[in-house]
Amino acid sequence: VFLFLSLTLFTAPPDQAPDFAFFESKIRPVLVGKCYKCHSSNLPAPKGDFALDTKDGLLKGGATGVAIVPGKPGESRLLMALRYADTDLQMPPSGKLPDTVIADFEQWLAAGAPDPRTAPLASAVATAPQGMSVEEGRKWWAFQPLEVVAPPPTRDSRPAKNVIDAFIVSKLEQQGLSPSPEADPRTLVRRVYVDLVGFKPNYEEIEAFLADPSPLAYENLVDRLLASPHYGERWGRHWMDVARFGEDNPTGEATNPAYPFAWRYRDWIIEAVNQDVPYDRFVKLQLAADLIPGTPRADLRALGYLGAAPVYHKDLRLSEQVIGGFLTDDWDERIDATTRGLLAITVACARCHDHKFDPIPTADYYGLMGVFASTMRAERPLFDVEPEVETRFAWLQNRLFDLAYSVNLLTNEASTVVDSASRVARWKAEIETLKQEALGLQEKYPQLVAKLERYWSPPGQRRQADDAVNNGSRRRRNSASTEPFTNAVFEAAQYLDGSDPQFTFIHYKAGEARDMPLLKTGNLATPGEIVPRHFPTVLAQSDPSFKQGSGRLELAERIFSDAAPLAARVIVNRVWGWHMGRPLVGTPSDFGVQGEMPTHLELLDNLAARFIQHGWSLKWLHREIMMSATYGQASQPREDGVRLDVANLLVWRMNPRRLDIETYRDTLLRLSGRMNERMFGPSEDLQSPRNVRRTVYSRVSRGRQNSLLKNYDFPDAMQSAGGRDLTVTPLQQLFVMNSEFMHEAAAELAAATSSEAESDARLQFLFRRVLGREPTRRELELALDFLQGGSLEQYAQVLLSTNEEIFWP
Amino acid sequence: MTHPTSRRNMLRSLFGGIGGLGLASVLSREEAQASTVGHYTGPRMLSKARHVINLVLSGGPSQVDLLDPKPALARHEGQRPGSVELRTERQTGGLLPTPFQFRPRGESGIEVSEMLPQLASVIDDICVIRSMYSFNPTHTPAVSLWHTGTVLLNRPSIGSWVSYGLGSENDDLPSFVALGGGGSATRSGFLPAQHQGTPFNHSELDPVNMIPDLQNKWTDQLAQRRQLDAQQALNREYSQTFGADEYLEGRIQSMESAYRMQFAALDAFDVRKESAAIREEYGSGTFANGCLLARRLVERGVRYVHVGFSGWDDHKDLEKNYRKNCPAMDQAAAALIRDLKRRGLLDETIVVWGGEFGRTPVSESGTGRDHNPYGYTMWVAGGGFRGGLAYGATDEFGFKAIENRVSIHDLHATMLYALGMDHTRLTYRYAGRDFRLTDVLGEVVNDIIQ
Repeated sequence: VFLFLSLTLFTAPPDQAPDFAFFESKIRPVLVGKCYKCHSSNLPAPKGDFALDTKDGLLKGGATGVAIVPGKPGESRLLMALRYADTDLQMPPSGKLPDTVIADFEQWLAAGAPDPRTAPLASAVATAPQGMSVEEGRKWWAFQPLEVVAPPPTRDSRPAKNVIDAFIVSKLEQQGLSPSPEADPRTLVRRVYVDLVGFKPNYEEIEAFLADPSPLAYENLVDRLLASPHYGERWGRHWMDVARFGEDNPTGEATNPAYPFAWRYRDWIIEAVNQDVPYDRFVKLQLAADLIPGTPRADLRALGYLGAAPVYHKDLRLSEQVIGGFLTDDWDERIDATTRGLLAITVACARCHDHKFDPIPTADYYGLMGVFASTMRAERPLFDVEPEVETRFAWLQNRLFDLAYSVNLLTNEASTVVDSASRVARWKAEIETLKQEALGLQEKYPQLVAKLERYWSPPGQRRQADDAVNNGSRRRRNSASTEPFTNAVFEAAQYLDGSDPQFTFIHYKAGEARDMPLLKTGNLATPGEIVPRHFPTVLAQSDPSFKQGSGRLELAERIFSDAAPLAARVIVNRVWGWHMGRPLVGTPSDFGVQGEMPTHLELLDNLAARFIQHGWSLKWLHREIMMSATYGQASQPREDGVRLDVANLLVWRMNPRRLDIETYRDTLLRLSGRMNERMFGPSEDLQSPRNVRRTVYSRVSRGRQNSLLKNYDFPDAMQSAGGRDLTVTPLQQLFVMNSEFMHEAAAELAAATSSEAESDARLQFLFRRVLGREPTRRELELALDFLQGGSLEQYAQVLLSTNEEIFWP
Repeated sequence: MTHPTSRRNMLRSLFGGIGGLGLASVLSREEAQASTVGHYTGPRMLSKARHVINLVLSGGPSQVDLLDPKPALARHEGQRPGSVELRTERQTGGLLPTPFQFRPRGESGIEVSEMLPQLASVIDDICVIRSMYSFNPTHTPAVSLWHTGTVLLNRPSIGSWVSYGLGSENDDLPSFVALGGGGSATRSGFLPAQHQGTPFNHSELDPVNMIPDLQNKWTDQLAQRRQLDAQQALNREYSQTFGADEYLEGRIQSMESAYRMQFAALDAFDVRKESAAIREEYGSGTFANGCLLARRLVERGVRYVHVGFSGWDDHKDLEKNYRKNCPAMDQAAAALIRDLKRRGLLDETIVVWGGEFGRTPVSESGTGRDHNPYGYTMWVAGGGFRGGLAYGATDEFGFKAIENRVSIHDLHATMLYALGMDHTRLTYRYAGRDFRLTDVLGEVVNDIIQ
């Protein structure tokens, strides 16, 4: 991909510091052009253990000692090497540099070797971005500190139910509008069910609410549903859109097979949402559960956010450039998912050049990339293991996979790689060594050894062999496993090793972290400065650098310290949107300049500030929103509203919507009496007619998206989704008219009417079951007419297919 | 910065609205049909093309065996001169000459392999691009590059872009149909879901088996119409009570569209309704049916038809496989061009042929060829492209494009141009920026269009 982007010209302005100008014009280009190839901290093993792409590295020297002595050219071995004076130390090996260049180095060393590379962050910030500078950016609305803004006064005589209403009504009044009256109780009870538990209530549930004389009937209903386990299934699924939850990879080739334990991550989300785990902790666990002291092992499942993320296949026969492209694409995906999903900033726009609109320099992008280049996926046990053993196990998985895969590539393919036999022999020897090491764990951790066995058992013997090791793309439709493991990540720096011209290896350095070089125009072939891992500058309240390990935990923590106001605004805005049908910021994953401005900034801030005060509790936030008169409004169109604010930005009514696919399918299953309410466990195929579980338990594929989900605007799990475009298309209606699913539901309902003897009683039964209400006299007449030439089953399908059923007013 | 009531806001409410349908004006049928109107807002190019048929030979057909003759291969058989030291997917050996004869064909005198006698007979309608190049030597990323312009497997395909840009001409059929092929070929990415490619299984002849849920297995047509009438009566009652709403109205229309689609598709997707002579001209087999279906679909207003033909990944036994696979491909593709021309549809239909890359002139395992993104051949017929033209050239062995090089982005830009759109103006705002099919690249190749 870097090749496409290479035309986007980006020229860093020269550093203005006079001390450094000489370095920039005379020294740095030589270092980059002649030395970085072998002496870069970007390499798994810099030659002579000497990396001169950072000031620290240059000063430290290498295996043979100090390379430069600032102020003393005569004592600097670097200069001796350049001069080719010593036959044992001649650099660069490709040929002696021109004398003028060597003279430049001498002059520079004599001047004390001024080197600006200690402060890449500062220099990155100092570059003039094409868009907004970091300084300007700090004034942007979304990055401001939060305060509990007092609600404005309103003329409305009705008592405001809570502060939300004051903010909404005040703006409406400014435009000469008023809120809509309260929705009728029947609409309200349906609204609350769909909203909180994800299906419409049945007739009995509706009637029970209508018959409840308590003034707290509505409040009690909300509280009861918030406590229902179905609440987590509904709101967990909202989060799964943002977390781009998927259970496999787009192509399912050897190095990017399906994730057998992704379902555990889904289950964790549902459990955590049901327990109202504070949102800050909820996110921190997904980014860094393994690094937070005292975390129960079951919470490692949360790491599916990173450990079951989409990755690209890497055929190791390809060049370092090609493999490097895929690796950086993987890391780019993590940057995109975390920054848009958690902070609504579009950091991925800064991959090739400073962000064209927002205050995000390219250095901030590569500062985050280092975090993900130091985070490697692995299957981690859910049982207790000593930390060192676990890290080694995670490393062994990755190394053994690569070795077994490579052996397979060169053995089974009609390959003519030169010296393939010697390579295979070498790799097999390493597998054998690692096998012996792993077998040492047999007594204490047989389950770990069993997990690794597939990498050394000969193909004939391994019934349980991992398909992934076999070359090719044998995609198993159901790859789910119930072994006590989970798809997670561990701390390991990844480096590319292109020293073999036929084969590219990825080295995993367990327990280590690395920084990435800034890749101008995103091009791997032109690595620039090494960028220390750090938090986006515009959000940092103090030194942005990460100090511990990969920086994953610090990233998670700073989202909720330095960037807490933004993080709170982002989730509050999403939750508002899921409740109300339109978020306050219309682009919920982009709070930048290209995004939309909030329609009610003060309201957003007020809610976000109090959300933090209430311990980041989503259930508090739900209650706050749902107890407002704004939420309880009718959704019918009004002449004045349509004329003055057709898009309902001012919220003069509730936004009427159609059900999303999960809610529609679950409602149809439940009302026809077919739903299996069992929670959790491996996913099932949505296509299977026997699958009558809630839709959230259906398999989500990134490679072969289910056509029903696809037709109903289910998001592509390849990227974090901020919202769904709810379309209406004929292909959706073909499902409604002709599918086996609808047929089964109708047949089930028709069979259930047999308890009634008369046609009108049967029809009344159907109306109650499907639409949760009595038929009108006219509807009954029409239905009886229909039965003259049609069956009850056909009529049941008519009712299931109506607009009323799929609509959510 | 955008004002909250901007047009974009109207067109793209993330929640609650109908994707692509303005929230603003509501409710009349005329306006409801706006959902099928194109979103391209740039200047209109002078162009005739309105449809695309993409013949996708996945695996990567070999240029030096079909359309790019290289006599030097025979002279240097088995050798490995320095210019072929290009890294591909696998290790390769010496130069491998083609076993097939080439000779000049048509008035244009373009040299064509004996494996393509039928296409040779219509070569004067074909623009052969011998200087295509791409960036990645493995299948999945290369396929993605062709369809979406990037190896990232999350971006919209060209078919989705065309559907998004031009809209549909026929409400009763999807505007982008894929006959064989999924994944990046049909992905709509961040574009609204109605622009995704709808896959149909054309290995079946009966449309009922090609399209999931196309027909009701339990209810006959008449009964279904009664059901729909009963449902629409309830829907209208509901609208009366609720009030005007674009979704409610849109779904009433959409139900009727779906009802009609059952029959429109039964007709459109049934190649058995063609005369025996026509079917004979295309030949038999899945690809032949796909080509014939593609013609029936563009005739009915479908914007973009993808016709897949897999099995062109000849790492070994290339000659044997070509003798087996080429005739069916050659016959159907040539028949498609002739048929479109007879019906006056060729001018308004771009037929584009090719794989995700070509193959190496050096051998793999003695009888096959490895993947080659450095230089390969694609061809385009109709839609304003210049027939009888051989454009660009590869090096003396056919490995690398060296003259008038054409990238995938260039060809995409040129196809959009032929469809009347400026590729730099067909954009969609997502995740902080305006995305394009051609990203920041692509130049229209003026020499290959009329």
